[in-house]
Amino acid sequence: MSVLPVADLRPAPSASRKPSLTALPKVRRRQRGLIAGVLLLLLIALGAVLAVNIHVANSQYQVVQMTNEHRDLVHQNQALTQQVQFLESPQALSNSAVTVGMVMPASAGTFDLDSGHIVSEAEAASSSSVPSSFVGAPAYTGPDLSASDVAQQAEGAPSGLLGAGALHTLMQSSAGENDAGAAGTAPDSASALNGGTIPAPDLTD
Amino acid sequence: MARTLSLRMRIGLAIMLAMLVVLGGRLFHIQGLDPAGHAQQAVSNRLHAVELPAARGDILDSQGRLMAGSADRYDIVADPRLTGEYTVADADLGLQRPVTLEQTAGELAELLEADSADILDRLDDEDTHYSVIARNVTPEVHQRIMELGIPGVYAEPVSERTYPAGPVAGSIVGFVGSDGPLEGMESVANDALTGESGERIYEVGADGVRIPTATYEEIPAVDGQDVRLTVDQDLQWFAQEAIAEKANEYNAQWGNATVVDLREGSEGEILAMADSETVDPTDPGDTDELFRRPLALTQDFEPGSGGKSVTFAAALEEGVVGPESEFTVPYRMTVDGESIRNARTHSDYQMTAAGIYARSYNTGTVMIGNQLDEQTRYDYLRKVGYGEPIDIGLGIEGQSILRPLQEWDRRQPLTTQFGQGYTGSVLHNVQLYQMIANDGIKHPLRIVDAYVDPDGEEHPVSAEPEQIFSAETSEEMLKLMEGVVDYGSAMDAEIDGYRVGGKTGTAEAAGAAGGFDGYTVNFVGLAPLDDPQFLVSITVHRPEGRFGDWDLTDAFTEIMSHTLAGYDVPPSEAESESYDGFVGERQDYPW
Repeated sequence: MSVLPVADLRPAPSASRKPSLTALPKVRRRQRGLIAGVLLLLLIALGAVLAVNIHVANSQYQVVQMTNEHRDLVHQNQALTQQVQFLESPQALSNSAVTVGMVMPASAGTFDLDSGHIVSEAEAASSSSVPSSFVGAPAYTGPDLSASDVAQQAEGAPSGLLGAGALHTLMQSSAGENDAGAAGTAPDSASALNGGTIPAPDLTD
Repeated sequence: MARTLSLRMRIGLAIMLAMLVVLGGRLFHIQGLDPAGHAQQAVSNRLHAVELPAARGDILDSQGRLMAGSADRYDIVADPRLTGEYTVADADLGLQRPVTLEQTAGELAELLEADSADILDRLDDEDTHYSVIARNVTPEVHQRIMELGIPGVYAEPVSERTYPAGPVAGSIVGFVGSDGPLEGMESVANDALTGESGERIYEVGADGVRIPTATYEEIPAVDGQDVRLTVDQDLQWFAQEAIAEKANEYNAQWGNATVVDLREGSEGEILAMADSETVDPTDPGDTDELFRRPLALTQDFEPGSGGKSVTFAAALEEGVVGPESEFTVPYRMTVDGESIRNARTHSDYQMTAAGIYARSYNTGTVMIGNQLDEQTRYDYLRKVGYGEPIDIGLGIEGQSILRPLQEWDRRQPLTTQFGQGYTGSVLHNVQLYQMIANDGIKHPLRIVDAYVDPDGEEHPVSAEPEQIFSAETSEEMLKLMEGVVDYGSAMDAEIDGYRVGGKTGTAEAAGAAGGFDGYTVNFVGLAPLDDPQFLVSITVHRPEGRFGDWDLTDAFTEIMSHTLAGYDVPPSEAESESYDGFVGERQDYPW
């Protein structure tokens, strides 16, 4: 009883291998799908990276373009601001006032509201009392005043709120009519906008 | 067979391995060790460092109006090695059309409004590769020049200072030369105005466009601070017109009108410091050197009768006289062997101290001043600021010469009592009346209101006030000054509806060759006396004509009325509080 038949102890190896052999083709089929999926994913990722790269590179050109445009607009704004500042100088204001026939003021009348008294009587300004002009006008070094006329520049400007629309708002001073103004002053705006609402950056120069 | 194959394979494998090792080594050598610095060189070729210049701060007036700002400009520069004939595509002809250097020069001359031959010389200058064609060109002209696409012509961005008000407050604002700031606020506040420039580092490709994913560093520039002055630009202009008219009327060497704020909280702020002629900071060379710096600081002169205010205030403060103390005032008198007299002959008058002040009699002033000892009088002169430079924050000190007591000659103990024998600038005189007007408290005069950071944070500039006279003395002095306008030497300084006080002064001007060869005439006035709000000082140096011909009160009333109206100071029905000038009923004694 100490020796057992060997054949009884060994399990049939062929019987246990068989299921594993039959299972393999199933795994392979699954792997094929997996590989295809991974490849597809890789392709999509590659495509995405490529698309992002192209987009970033293109945007970079646009950024340069728009930076230039921004700089031009800053300069234009600066020129107009400067023009306003020079026209606002006391000498320039005084000269303009004299040109339109204004004279130096005489004293104003004053009431004391507590006592109801007239504290001082108003005097009529003398028509001959124009301000003197000993102080010279500022030496103007900025852009040519006539060349910075907004109306001239706005002719070729992009439409929408930036160009003619802004000008329209300035001239008509009714804030609600931007769209109508833009459409009215620039009839080709619809085609330039390509059905959108934001004008594309100008790539002509 | 199998053995030989294996041997061949092994040999082949070994060779391949060896080559791989060589290649790997080389790769490691180039990529890892990089002894020739290729990678570094490539990166530095692509790397661009651009300085981000800090914007220079603005100089603003008290109302925030721009007095000095910056604008973008371009220097147009040519590299004559690269210039020459070139071709452009002509749209009309459909051909390449040649452009000669002469034509180029002509096109540039038209845009720059310059001489074509001169530009041709610069384009063709053999000796240099950096030839400046035009400086400080506006962006508009710059763009048109760039559109021409001339080879060898490029532009360098620069910043130019603009002074929109030109000569209004030009000497206060100052100006900038090609090497940096030269005068005025531009110079003294240069550190605050300048800021710190930043830097942007990035990589560019061969086409000059930035590589998006590569190195990008930006150190932002810190813009300079704005400097806000206490000056009111409109008032400054008005005062400049008024004083120019006055100086012109008397054909004087120079004139100055200064307006100082006395209102609570802003005592001592200079609202206007106007000279008869003022430099335009855009073109400083066009103006005489005298007028490139503020005259109120650069010129010192004897204060004349204005200096009597120190004697009177000291006497009142020490309690040796009252405003109605009585004196017998002769035309001429001798003190310690020195003879002094008044401007015009008159008989002996029975007068009050107020009357002596109003009529500005030298003899009477000495009778009052001599009740104080020399040392006390000297100390008061020093206390109100004479003998010491005055600094209002403009980098220029106003000078005042007052010799120490030990060095005084025989006459000086007398002359210093009526404003002679020492000098001061306009601002020394103005400071004296400022403390008289503000309850005896000296608020140091100043011209900078605040430094403003780019983010809008303000750093106000203030000065320590100092009590010099008592409020009682100040009040009595104002009544004495009212007498000057009521019945004294400046009766035309009246302004309807306001109580006005002031003091006239005339002193001889020292000539360059020694001795005296002209006069300095001044008037300082305050209004309204119920609660003084503004001080206006008018000074005219070397007017033409004879002593007594000059009257500055019209310029004073003009500027004072304008200031009172402009700052909404209402007129009042308050009565004058001046003291009688003469003892007894009669007050209309001849001059």
